[in-house]
Amino acid sequence: MSNGKVDRKSFLTTAAITSAGLVTGFPAILPSRAFAADEIKIGLDYEYTGVYASYAQSETQGAEMAMDLWNARGGVMGGSKVSVVKEDNNNNPGNAVEKARKLILVDKCAVLMGSISSAVSLATSGAANALNTFYIDSGGHADSVTGDKCNYSTFRTCHSTWMETHATGYSLSKKGKRWYMIIPDYAFGHALQAGYHDVAKKMGITFVGEDLTPLGTTDFSPYLTKVLAAKPDLLIVLVQGDDFVNCLKQTSQFGIVGKIPIGGPQVELEAVWALPPEARVGFWGVEWYYKGASVIGSNNKLANDFIAAYRKKYGTPPTARSAFGYITMDRMLWTINEAKSTNAAKMAKTLAGAHFNSIWEGGGYYREVDHQLMWPMWLGSIRAKGTPSDQYDIFDIVDRQEAADIEQSVAEKQAVCHMNWPT
Amino acid sequence: MAHVAPEIFNGLILGAFYAVVAIGLSLIMNLTGTINMAHGSFMTLSGYLAFAMVSAGTNWWFALAAAPILTAIVGLAVERSLIRPLYKRDPVYSLLLTFGLSLIAEEAYRLIWGGNGVPFAPPGFLQGSVSLGFTDFPAFRLFIAVALLVIIVLLVLFLQRTRLGLRLRAAVQDNEMIAALGTNTQLLYTINFGLGILVAGVAGVLAAGMLGLNPQSYSNQLLMPAFVTVIVGGMGSLYGAVVGGLLIGVTVSIVTLYIPAASEISMYVLMAVVLLVRPRGLFGEEGIFG
Repeated sequence: MSNGKVDRKSFLTTAAITSAGLVTGFPAILPSRAFAADEIKIGLDYEYTGVYASYAQSETQGAEMAMDLWNARGGVMGGSKVSVVKEDNNNNPGNAVEKARKLILVDKCAVLMGSISSAVSLATSGAANALNTFYIDSGGHADSVTGDKCNYSTFRTCHSTWMETHATGYSLSKKGKRWYMIIPDYAFGHALQAGYHDVAKKMGITFVGEDLTPLGTTDFSPYLTKVLAAKPDLLIVLVQGDDFVNCLKQTSQFGIVGKIPIGGPQVELEAVWALPPEARVGFWGVEWYYKGASVIGSNNKLANDFIAAYRKKYGTPPTARSAFGYITMDRMLWTINEAKSTNAAKMAKTLAGAHFNSIWEGGGYYREVDHQLMWPMWLGSIRAKGTPSDQYDIFDIVDRQEAADIEQSVAEKQAVCHMNWPT
Repeated sequence: MAHVAPEIFNGLILGAFYAVVAIGLSLIMNLTGTINMAHGSFMTLSGYLAFAMVSAGTNWWFALAAAPILTAIVGLAVERSLIRPLYKRDPVYSLLLTFGLSLIAEEAYRLIWGGNGVPFAPPGFLQGSVSLGFTDFPAFRLFIAVALLVIIVLLVLFLQRTRLGLRLRAAVQDNEMIAALGTNTQLLYTINFGLGILVAGVAGVLAAGMLGLNPQSYSNQLLMPAFVTVIVGGMGSLYGAVVGGLLIGVTVSIVTLYIPAASEISMYVLMAVVLLVRPRGLFGEEGIFG
């Protein structure tokens, strides 16, 4: 190598070094901020790089807005200011566990919140529980988090995959009974698949195709040619993030849009904004939206203040992800303040079952049996180009489903969720 | 079986992308020993510049021509200021430098254009699908196939039929001799780097319309397969890059059809098999273009 030319051995050696760096999540290993003494530190363990980076950013922005509000009111527990310490788990469960342990043991964060990926949420939940640290899963949807992998110190804000599939499935079944599903091949996707299978049994749906796609897939053409050949009544797209953007773009390129209706359990505003107008189609679950009386109510000061402040600060309206972050941080700090403690068991007992009003109409509560936030879901169809007054307003909200109607019952959850309360 | 023919066709198009990116990498690597880990970032830059131009109201075709040229100018500046001092050093230095550049670039794109992807669509008449008999196929992908073929042919003609191409090839063979004969080798290196980035830039604009555009767009999606293409095709071989790219594209597409979870690993398995059977790669030989 000393003559500056590259031979095969040196090339392979240096490629291996680089790959090792990428696998360990560089630059995810770089820490993010310093902190002052006498603060309550909240650890944020999120996917700041990778396919879910934009969602992580939205959730963090919402969380920081809630934190700023609490600090403006004097902080928590009689005057302690709140700060955040952010770590990037690079959408890797192993990294998420390392970062969770670092946040708790090194950075001395009192509590944790995160993430987007269900696999990461599950891993972080386990890591936090092992260290008896309170954790709220803000954005990982898989049922297991509040199902068979539940624990006393973990709560969840976003809807479960069961809620998503059942909120949308009954409505989507009216569009036809032969479905084709494109499913991300990890915990979240598998949970959605199971949820829709349950809907299918009840509504007489048959699946003419189901494809599991690796996370990070950019080229969906192999699956889309099969969709065209199968001629389903409905194409259900379960992938999210950049995968969703690529998939929808390519359904348009392959001429599926207009031929086959498209829908799915949820869609993220961040992803839809990244689509060209001709690919903005479909009928989707909406977990929160910044407009509509059925979502935010007609005189909801909390919602109106949040939306106005967010838009002023960031230039775009808040998304469902922003809402998850805001609600999670707000409830986290309320709980610390109410319990006058950051002890996980005390916090869990305080938060579970406590009804509250927030940035949606009707209020909600984290259910005691599984620590799942019980709040409605909405259904929306996409409007390709927004409205004359708001280019970002791309959803027509057409329906609302209450939590009790779409989530598993208390008895069903008791059969699978066994809280490991400390003695 | 009805799906195989469209997938082979699609794999050839994907493989053509890998080939074009690999050729750009090879151009830079073979002459100067620079392992350009920022190659994907230059592609992304070209995509974003094209997006910015189209958003400002310029014609898509103008953006397709102008964005790669602007990206190549940035590449020339990077080569002149950062990479040139490392030519006489071990290639690991340039690898680490360009790896760092790729990380800086990703964050810069995120700061400028946001963390979300941006919508970048081809012109209206290329947005639909065309019936090929055995399947409906996106018109834009057909255009990409033609465009990449033109790029490859133009590159071959440039390298084999022009004086500058002759000098580049000679410099790879023996750059001390060509310097002794009076050629400004530093200028040659710069032109070579710019040419590699220009090719990457065109691929970046085309990929933006097909695969989407976000800050981390092509670093993994196209760059790693391109490196594998270089190894499979044989370092130093233009034809190897083309054949290797097409082979990898078809392999990945067919494996995706039947075992999606194995789609990414399939190209590494192919690489391992090729290295076992023919360690120099399919067309590997010394010299840049044989």
